[in-house]
Amino acid sequence: MEPIEQPIINKVTNTEDPIEIATHDFSLNWMLLKDSETGKVLWEGKEDMSIPGQVHIAEVPKSILECKSVSRTLNFSSKRALTNFRIVQRVMFQDQLLEGWSFKFGFVIPNSTNSWEQVIEAAGEGHMLPAEMLSGNVLIQTDFYDENTIISASRVRIFYV
Amino acid sequence: MGLLALLRKLHSSPTHEMRILLLGLDNAGKTTLLKQLASEDVSFVTPTIGFNVKSVQSKGFKLNVWDIGGQREIRPYWRNYFENTDVLIYVIDSTDEKRFLETSQELYNLLEEDKLANVPLFIFANKQDLVAATNVGDIAERLKLCNIRERQWQIQPCSALTGAGIQEGMEWLCKNMAIKKKKK
Repeated sequence: MEPIEQPIINKVTNTEDPIEIATHDFSLNWMLLKDSETGKVLWEGKEDMSIPGQVHIAEVPKSILECKSVSRTLNFSSKRALTNFRIVQRVMFQDQLLEGWSFKFGFVIPNSTNSWEQVIEAAGEGHMLPAEMLSGNVLIQTDFYDENTIISASRVRIFYV
Repeated sequence: MGLLALLRKLHSSPTHEMRILLLGLDNAGKTTLLKQLASEDVSFVTPTIGFNVKSVQSKGFKLNVWDIGGQREIRPYWRNYFENTDVLIYVIDSTDEKRFLETSQELYNLLEEDKLANVPLFIFANKQDLVAATNVGDIAERLKLCNIRERQWQIQPCSALTGAGIQEGMEWLCKNMAIKKKKK
């Protein structure tokens, strides 16, 4: 997993524009946010969160900001074999990159269903913006690539309730 | 010890990214084991037709655990996941005596792979909570584990369902992942 240090400003300012992508028999089945210490599910998205051009809404309890570590799971299926599959995820606050990760999976088995769970330690007290400020301003952008071809993308706006 | 705790202990290792590969026949208990390692609820586990990856990061260090489905049709794809493996965990269903031969053949195929040469091997003899389980000594004999050469290896009885024996496995991983790195 490689941190993305430089936000790609040109690409992220138009985050809510419709994304022209070929789906290539790829589907994002569900997403899950958990408190990784207690295992408590904080948010679960069961619809396909990768519908092009659509920004999905996630209402997450404010308490997530107090978790020492949070786990994010993505579950996806591919009908085709993918040779060099990777996911690029960016957490944006307005137009600013809060954190970004890229993860290279490599091969994806044809007709497979796969999951990826990331456990991330919180920045710690004093490094977190208040929930009121974050709510509605945080967008999780996830782009799915095979080599350099984008095969799917997901946009989820986070509201802290 | 959960995965995050394991990662914290591995901080002394000079490599920033570690990869654990979990393999074994279908229904051996790989996904349940992965969930147990991550201290998750193990009551709802379905066959894996693909992979489950868990990535843990702490202070710039990363640990990725790859659980790949073990069904016969998927096994030819295992080789796509060998590269950069730091530890191979092989899981055996100790109650599935009629497939001991099959599982040992798959294991020896793995041990012959160039990309897995010298990679430490940890074998979990799973499902030891069941009365039908073969004990670990007999499994070691049936699988002729004493023939394993040129790598660190260990077999450990466990129950991925109850968590028994998992801690011992984690401790071994801690020690042997670090040792392997020092040799490089």
